[in-house]
Parts: sequence; structure tokens; C-alpha cells
Amino acid sequence: MRWKTWAIRLLLLLWGLQLVWLGYYFAPEVRDLAWRLASHHTGAAILQEDPFYRWVRTLAGIIPRHATYVFLDNYEAGKEIEARYHLTPRRHILLPPAVPPDFLFFTLRQEKATYLIIREGDRSWASKKAVAQSPAFHEVPVPGPGLLFRVDYGRLLGRFYD
Amino acid sequence: MIDAALSLCRLLLGLGAVFLLGYGCFALLVPRPPEFPGPEKLAFSFGIGATLLTLWMLVLSWLGLQLGLPVILGPILVLTGVALLVKKLIRGRSREMTTREAPGPPASSPNTAPPIPYRLWDWVFLGLLALLFLGATLRATLYPMWAWDAIATWGCKAKVFYLSRGMNLTCIDAHNYYPNLLPLLLSYLYFCLGRVNDHLAQGLFPLWGALLLALLQAFLRRGGLGRTQALGVTAFLALNGTVFPVHLYIAYADLPLAYFALAAVGLLYLWFTDRAPRGSLALAACAFAGMAWCKYEGPPLAVTVLLAALLTLAWLRPPDLKARLAALGIPLLGLGAGFLPWRLFAALGHLEMGADHIRNIYPQQFLAACTYLGVALANPFYFGVLWPALILALIFCGRSLWRTPRLFLALFIGGNLLAILIAYGVAPTDAAEFPSYVRATLDRLLLHITPVAALLVGEGLKTWGEGRGIGSTEQAIIPGEK
Repeated sequence: MRWKTWAIRLLLLLWGLQLVWLGYYFAPEVRDLAWRLASHHTGAAILQEDPFYRWVRTLAGIIPRHATYVFLDNYEAGKEIEARYHLTPRRHILLPPAVPPDFLFFTLRQEKATYLIIREGDRSWASKKAVAQSPAFHEVPVPGPGLLFRVDYGRLLGRFYD
Repeated sequence: MIDAALSLCRLLLGLGAVFLLGYGCFALLVPRPPEFPGPEKLAFSFGIGATLLTLWMLVLSWLGLQLGLPVILGPILVLTGVALLVKKLIRGRSREMTTREAPGPPASSPNTAPPIPYRLWDWVFLGLLALLFLGATLRATLYPMWAWDAIATWGCKAKVFYLSRGMNLTCIDAHNYYPNLLPLLLSYLYFCLGRVNDHLAQGLFPLWGALLLALLQAFLRRGGLGRTQALGVTAFLALNGTVFPVHLYIAYADLPLAYFALAAVGLLYLWFTDRAPRGSLALAACAFAGMAWCKYEGPPLAVTVLLAALLTLAWLRPPDLKARLAALGIPLLGLGAGFLPWRLFAALGHLEMGADHIRNIYPQQFLAACTYLGVALANPFYFGVLWPALILALIFCGRSLWRTPRLFLALFIGGNLLAILIAYGVAPTDAAEFPSYVRATLDRLLLHITPVAALLVGEGLKTWGEGRGIGSTEQAIIPGEK
């Protein structure tokens, strides 16, 4: 019986230490929370701190609610899901930046997509040249980290372009 | 400021309607609602209300009706009110007849003993829980929706459902085959708020966590633990590792699933031990429905509960074995009620059901998963010292594990740990992606069963207390039903 009591005491001691660690772990979150509460900087105001969010909100003002757009990005970056969330209910199609022009053009035509969004405009992407040369794409100047093209999918033949 | 206060009022009224609806159904299912203490009643009411409300929204979408507050709440609240009225009339008449035949004390709350004053440790545990929930509620409601699955799946669907006034899945591809209890409940809150206010709607999650803990506390007390011990085990679950606290403020379906799993397992366990209040199996059926309608992993989890129950009955062979086996049909019906509507809806809408999840068996993944699982159970980052405490509790239980219904809890936990390994063994993931896949999912799979593990920890504590002759100063609160 005695060992059981000692085992419980040891467990409670470990739990107590773990509680201290838990407090330490969440301390930065609590500090941030306290600061935001004190400065009334909460809710939607937090989103406004993110340049990507501000850019996506600008796009939402341009892309009609019933439009379809192709978003060129890597899923792993986690930005695509953010864009989709904020651009909902617009129909969203994700393609990776490495997608060749033939497949990109085919998708745009097949899905009747009227917009193409590239998250990282300064990085190279496989279809950059083809898009620049095609008369179906018109870049919409939007200040921000990425690029937006208006697409006239009817002018895309859906053949091989590369 | 006024706008924020109004939004909060709308949110509270919306949540209140869910409680009301659930309580109506609870009172219909349970012969004597006063047998349940307030927090337990609230906990069950919310789970039942959320399940019913969202299934009703599914029906409305099926009928092609545009979702809106009047059409969501009106018919279902009226129907519940009428049913409650009829029940009251029937009960009143039967009570009148019983009183005429054999006058005696009226059916009332079974707990007539004077309340025991709170002791120091009660206040300590309550204080810790209050701190946790204060932080979690502020964190949930003041920050926008941010976690991966919250914006990729659950929150995104909720937004789409609200904006399209129905279950329109044409504009998204966000695991469309997943069950929709959570997205529909969030979209219902958006209807209450009159707009998509995702940070305020996230207040749902600390509430759900609190109800889960209320349920655990109630089960522990019904199981025979004193108030202080039960509060201690509840705080032990809530404040062990980072997984539970984090799920109190992110919009994931795992906490609701853990709540439903605890309700189903806890009620069946009390039923095994003859401590269950009347109507427990009907309530368990609702929990099974909630499990199936809450998450894709829900139906398999529910099946493991039923399997554990069947194996326990087969091993213990109680004298009323046949009656008990037949009674298990009630939760099974609940499982069907939560599983079939969505499956039918998806089949009629030609939604792909994720059948490609199982293609082959990968032994190397199974073996790797064994290591990952062992590390996750032992690493205090995830669940603190809860799983080591479970091992200690199993040792304390000793032979009683094989001779009493505690076997049911142990089989459920063990069966699920095995099921997790098998699930990883058949997951069609790339070898390079497998470690990150496990990292992203394992803690959540364990969260589903962790409250039940805490229940078993409570059993271990009870055994230890019995051995020392303590823990009997506070008796189990409510007389059970044979």
C-alpha cells in the first residue's frame, strides 16, 4: 500500500511541475492577450496587421462573388487556405507554381476561371512567360505581395502552349 | 461598444436556443430529469441540441429550403415545446393516479442531504479551471479564426453555408464528404449574429470544453468519487499538456468528438455498473448520433465503443446477458440516426466519400506509428502526465480490471490505441510525408479518447482510496437504476 501512496505523491509532484511548465509555455500568449485587451486591438483588427490579408481583401473587392479563380501556390505554405477562406464564396482552384502552361491554360478554360492569382509575384513560376505572351491575360495592378490577372478563358484554346 | 454587446447578446441567445432545444429532447428521453444535477443536465442538453439542430439544418437543405433563423429554429422549437407539454400532461395524470392509489413522497431530487461546504482543495481545483477557461475564452473570442483545419475545412464550410443560405458544396473542395455538425452549428451562430463573425463564434469551443469537463465530473461522482477527488481528476485532465487547452480556442471538431465519446462511454459504463440514471441508454444513443455526425472518425470510434461493450459482456457474462445485449441496440440505433442522413445526402448529391483512404497495408508505417504513439503518450508536451497516470491507475485496479466493468473502459482505450496504429498502417501517404502526417493528426486522435482515460484514472484513484479506507466521507451523489 505504501508504494502506491508514494507513486501518487510522485505523480502529483510531476503534475505540479508540469503545471508550472504549462504556465511558462502559454505565458507569451497571455502577454499578447493582455496587450491586445489593453489596447482594444482585437478581432478583425488583428487580421489587418497581416499584409497578405490586406492584399486578399483588395482582391475580394475586384473578383466578383460568383467568379472562379485559379490560385498558384504551394499547399504547404498554408496561405492558399487563408486566401480561400477570405475569398469564399468565390470558386477556388489550387495549382502549384510548377504547373506547366498547357495544364494551367487547360484548367483555366475547362473550369471557366476568370482570374489567376499568383501569391509570390517576385518568385519565378513555370508559366510566367506563357502568361505574359498570351493575349488572354490582363494584369490587374493591385499593390501587394502577389499578382492578379484577369483571364479571358474563351481565348485559350486548351492546347499545348509550351 | 454597443455593437459588440449586441453581438454578444445574439450569440448567447443563439446558444441558449441550442440548450433549450436540447433540454426539451433530454426531458423527453429521461423519465426523471431532476435525477440529473444542473451541470450534467446542461452538458447533455447542449450536445443533444447541437446534434438535433444541425441534423434539422441538413433536412432543410435536403428539401431545398433556404436557411435562415426562423426556418431553422421555429418548427423545431415549437415541436419540442408541444412534445414537452404532452409529456407533462401525461405525467401529471399518471402521478395523480399514483398518488390516489398509494400516497407517498413525490418524486423529487434524490440528493436531499445538506450541501457539503467547499474545502481548500476544491477551491484550488476550481480556481485552476477558472483561470484556464478565462484565458481560453478570451483567446477564442478575441482572435480571428486561425488554425489550419479551422480555416481550411470547418470554418470555411460554415462561411460557405451561411453565405449560400444552404449546404452548397459546389464552390469548395474542403473534404466535402466530412460530416457537418460543426460547420452547420457555426453557420447557425452566424445566422444568430447576422454576419460572419468567426472570432465571436469561436466562443463555442471553450463552452464545449467546459461541458465536457462537467460531464466528466458528473461521471466520476456517479462512479463513487468524492467532490474533491472528482474535481482533482477533472483539473488533471484539463491542465495536462498543451493539446486540451489549445483545443479550447481553435475551431476543430476534435473537442466535440471527445465530448460525444466521453458521453457515450461514460453512460455505458454507468449502465454496466448499475449506477446509470434512468434514460441513460437513450442519452447514449444521442451521443452515438453526435459522434457519427461530428467527424469522419466518429463512426469507427463509436463502433469501438460498441465492440468494447460486447466483449465486456461476453467476458463478464452477467445474469441478464441477453437483455443487456438487446439493450445495446438502442445506442446502435443512435449511431444509425447520426450516420445515415449525411450518407444519404452525400449519395444523392454524388459526393465522393473518401473511399480512397484505404488502398493497401503498409507494415513499415505501422511499425513507425508504434514509435510515434509511444512518444506521444510519454511526451509531457501533448498530455502531460495523464497517460503515465493511466498506467498507474491500471496497476491500482489490478484484478478488478478483469472482473468488473472497468474492463469496458480498458478495452475501449486499448482498442482505440490499436485502431490508431492500424489507421496509420493503411494510410496512403508518401513515405517522406508520413512523419508530418502523424505529427499533424496523432495528438487529435488521442484527444478523442483522453477524457475516457481520465475516467479510468478516476477509477484507479477510487481503488487506491478504498484500499486506504478514505473517499467514503462523500457518497456517490445519485442512487442508480438497476
